[in-house]
Amino acid sequence: MNITPSEAEEALSAIQKIMKKTRHSISSSGAYKFLILWGIIWLIGFLNSQFIPGELAGNIWIGLDIIGGMLSAFIGIRLNRGIRSSSPSTTGKRIGLFWLILFLYCFIAILVAGTTDGKQLAMFIILFVTIGWIAMGLLLSFVSVWWGLALVTMACLGYFFLPDIFYLLMAILGGGGMIVLGLYIRDRW
Amino acid sequence: MPALNETIHQTARLRVMAVLVTLDPTAEVEFTYLRGLLDLTDGNLGAHLRKLEEAGFITLNKTFVDRKPRTFVSVTNEGRIVFKEHVEALESILKNKE
Repeated sequence: MNITPSEAEEALSAIQKIMKKTRHSISSSGAYKFLILWGIIWLIGFLNSQFIPGELAGNIWIGLDIIGGMLSAFIGIRLNRGIRSSSPSTTGKRIGLFWLILFLYCFIAILVAGTTDGKQLAMFIILFVTIGWIAMGLLLSFVSVWWGLALVTMACLGYFFLPDIFYLLMAILGGGGMIVLGLYIRDRW
Repeated sequence: MPALNETIHQTARLRVMAVLVTLDPTAEVEFTYLRGLLDLTDGNLGAHLRKLEEAGFITLNKTFVDRKPRTFVSVTNEGRIVFKEHVEALESILKNKE
């Protein structure tokens, strides 16, 4: 079988394109669902922190986190249903373990700091979540690194310079931003 | 020197093989997922899969999931080797041009 160099080039280009599409499909197939879900939770949670004072706001957050965790597990189980494997991928297991360790670190950091202030707690969680987000971006899709950096920058600006509207800022720009990014990934990737 | 493979070289089959070798070695991909990824019709994809199966490059596993019939596709070891050689052959054609 003989082919010309330009045919070879076309074939290699087709291979690279579909391999890239496959990797993207595997890595991004569920990302947007998590973003939209947690965007909605942040939007409701931070609006509630801004406008409902004290213990009730904390309890609402706990309820929202439980719902978010359950829905995340449900989405996670349904991810990549078109692909099945007798041994779950090492990468998938490592990513899961990474997030588990990161949340453990976050919990310990909050305990060490001994803070009960709502804004400080929110900042701890935002910092750890965005570290994880950026690490995932570096591994899977570099574009999302910038969104993670934008979110943490906005959170720091709000925390240090606009403390009175910090929760409102995180609700609209943080939660709303995650929803918009999720919709963007769903439609454009 | 690695050799080109005529069965694999056809564009649709080349893309099918490229998808399958990108997945984990133990992974199987569902027919509908593959169809969506490659943007092919049922009949077209089915015909290409049969050719690849006849050549021994892929395995079709027909099964029931939640009482619905599903076809899962996976690449064989031979398919992986032949695809790798095919890509190497394509690369060497380009190198020789330079």
